[in-house]
Amino acid sequence: MSKKLTLKQLLLLCLTISLAIIVAGAFLFGFLGFNPDSSTADYTSIEVADNNGTIVTDSNYRAALEDFCSSEIAVAGYDVSDVEYSPAPTGAAGRLEFILRGSVNEDEIAAFTEQLSAALAEESYGESGTLAEVGDTSVTYHSGVYVPHYEYIWRTAIGFGVALVLLFAYVAIRFKVGMGVVTLLAAVHDVLLTLGAIALFRIPAGPTVICVAVFALLISIFFNLKVFGKMRQDLRLEERKELPAREAVALSAKESRKGIFIAGILAAAALVVLAVVGLIVGFDLFSFMLGSLIAVIAATYSSLIFAPALYAVIKERSDARRAERAKYNYASEKARKKSEKQEAKQEG
Amino acid sequence: MGKKKSVALIVLITVVLVGLLFLCITPTFPVKSPNSFRSLLSIVDLGRDLEGGYYTVYYPEGVISKAEYETLEAEYEYALSETEDGQTPSVDDPSENYAAYRGIYLSTDITNEAGTDVTEEFKSDFNNALDTIKDRYERMGMSDYSIYLQDDYTIRVEVPTPILESGESAYDGETDVQEMLTYFSYSGEILFTDATSASATGTAEMAGTSEYIRSVSTSNAGDQGYAVVINFTSAGREAFRTLTSSLVSSSSSSDSSSSSSATLYIYVGTHQILGATVSEEMDQDAVYITGGFSKRDAEMRAALLNTSISESDVFDLVFESPEYYTTEALLGDSTALIAAICIGVLVLAMLVFSAVKFKGMGLAHIYGFITYAVALIACISLIPGIQLTLGGIIGILLSSAIMVSCNYYAFNNIKKEFATGKTLTASIKAGYKKSLAFTIDVHAILILASLAVWLIATGAAKFMALIFLLGIAISALCTLVITRFYLYMFMAQPKNKLAFVGFRREETEDE
Repeated sequence: MSKKLTLKQLLLLCLTISLAIIVAGAFLFGFLGFNPDSSTADYTSIEVADNNGTIVTDSNYRAALEDFCSSEIAVAGYDVSDVEYSPAPTGAAGRLEFILRGSVNEDEIAAFTEQLSAALAEESYGESGTLAEVGDTSVTYHSGVYVPHYEYIWRTAIGFGVALVLLFAYVAIRFKVGMGVVTLLAAVHDVLLTLGAIALFRIPAGPTVICVAVFALLISIFFNLKVFGKMRQDLRLEERKELPAREAVALSAKESRKGIFIAGILAAAALVVLAVVGLIVGFDLFSFMLGSLIAVIAATYSSLIFAPALYAVIKERSDARRAERAKYNYASEKARKKSEKQEAKQEG
Repeated sequence: MGKKKSVALIVLITVVLVGLLFLCITPTFPVKSPNSFRSLLSIVDLGRDLEGGYYTVYYPEGVISKAEYETLEAEYEYALSETEDGQTPSVDDPSENYAAYRGIYLSTDITNEAGTDVTEEFKSDFNNALDTIKDRYERMGMSDYSIYLQDDYTIRVEVPTPILESGESAYDGETDVQEMLTYFSYSGEILFTDATSASATGTAEMAGTSEYIRSVSTSNAGDQGYAVVINFTSAGREAFRTLTSSLVSSSSSSDSSSSSSATLYIYVGTHQILGATVSEEMDQDAVYITGGFSKRDAEMRAALLNTSISESDVFDLVFESPEYYTTEALLGDSTALIAAICIGVLVLAMLVFSAVKFKGMGLAHIYGFITYAVALIACISLIPGIQLTLGGIIGILLSSAIMVSCNYYAFNNIKKEFATGKTLTASIKAGYKKSLAFTIDVHAILILASLAVWLIATGAAKFMALIFLLGIAISALCTLVITRFYLYMFMAQPKNKLAFVGFRREETEDE
């Protein structure tokens, strides 16, 4: 009795945790959306355009211009999150864009661009003239608002739907219908949990978050099939057939742990290394890798705890139903004989 | 397998794998000036996040950049200096015609009476144009792109470097990008005509509205490259028949030679998009127009035409032919290289771990994994239409992890079978047999799932699914066939096979 309660409690706990994260994530997503990464965030930038192309042909000039502008911007109290250099492919012009962090007062920045323009006209660059003269610079500021596009989202969602149907059909045919249902639910659960956690923990995300969702789906399929593959093998063994459903399922899940952990650690190690190296070298890999790491954790959790607990409940019920069907029904047999006798009497 | 045969195979396979590995991962080095050797890894098409791309800013008529305003100012000052006292300069004072608005300048033609903002009409036209331009880029199915509304009334578009088709150079790709950035700013309705310029009047014309055109698609036309396919409605089919009939008859009346043909041009607004020779009356549901287009070229024209059919998509605002700039990788320069080095180090660690843990079986796994890696790199770099993004890297990592995991699963099963008292050969056979169902199931369902996502999705997910699909298909081959073959090949060599695979039979003493 206590074991039954434990199983139900475990399933309830899993569902509560998952639902809490998914609902909280969905709530935040609904109000604020994902925390935009550098590819989708609105921006305010100071643009220094070189209309002569010196910025492209003379790397020393480019470095001098960048250094001077950076120091002037810093002195003015603005925080630069990134400096982007964009040359025209023809080499005839180029731009330096200083992306600013935080909100910026428009009047102040408009005045600052005039100041910077004047400062460039005074700052000499060797004997060639001032920085402004050498590059024929033009200083301005821009504010950009990201325009979202959605086709990739709904088309990937349809792709997901088809993949899930195929997953259910395959697992139901090759394994068992109950396993198909659980694999399907676990895959949906893992994808939602990953996206919910990304929204909840405000991990920066752009259009590439869709790749994290695909990754969550694929790794969930792999991990769950690993557990159910073991379960399918084990449930054919005579000694396992005799065990109650929950014990047999729990035993198989326990024995799958090692394999799942090895695969999970392999994937997680790669993600962590890339994220850490990204942090050290200064690449923006961290948020994507963190999102993927959540997918690995979600898939590991669901394949070892959530899916077995859910399948144990389904198996327990289907076993009970099968046992009920297999039972000889004495009551109905008696009733049938009685009615036959009555019919015979009436005829007689 | 005999020992001699095994030795020959080991040598041969080792040489082939080392050679292929060299082709795949060797850093670029000069061969004979100006040529240089480039590995397969270095020719992989990279997405905007790993390699960068291009950007442009569309300025609608009446909106100019600060640099352009400063040029106008300089021209005015020069004209003023050249003008004698009392005379009017030949150039207008830009400060009278333009007002600063954020980082741009708005013409008085489009601003409201107060001069503080643009007119409602301009706003409405601009929003319509923004939606249509967004739709055009969305239809291109690029791995990643961004559109920003910059300073309220300009559109900034960032696109990745194009995926090069076989035989295309980087210059071809750049030209196509430039063309796409320009084409997608075109406004106006579609017109079929034989007039050679937009200002001329043709002998016969047909409007390309939704009444006549259902959609525009692309199709592979074999040797002639890709074709732009215009699908007509029934009314469009009849109108096109009439158009081609009148074109042919007018050309035959003006041409005394026996063969008569006319050229039909398709315009969007004032811009010529397609041209085709018409030599006979055409009565068909769809017309295929070829012109040696690359896939990208044809898709670009189809996207432009598709978004100029419906009246609601057509906008009147004219955009200035854009200047375009290259952009750095979103994640920073050399991200792909650093990621490749990190993955290389991780793979090396995994291979060392395999060799230590599984001994001889680990050796077979090393050869199997190298085969997998070489095949995957070759596929990604040589198959056209693949672009590697961060999602693709994750796909590679996942398929690698699955391959390693399946091999480990098989080796562990072999160990377990051996522990039951079977001979080594029987254990290997039984271990693989035991792993077969799971390995096939995992690979089959993952192939199906990634195939579904690849076929249906678009953008980064499509490219990720494709790379994962290739990875998992190669993993299936390497796990089920190649690694097993390598194991048999290596097993033929050692005298003490048990020591080779690190197995030890526990001695039991009779009482």
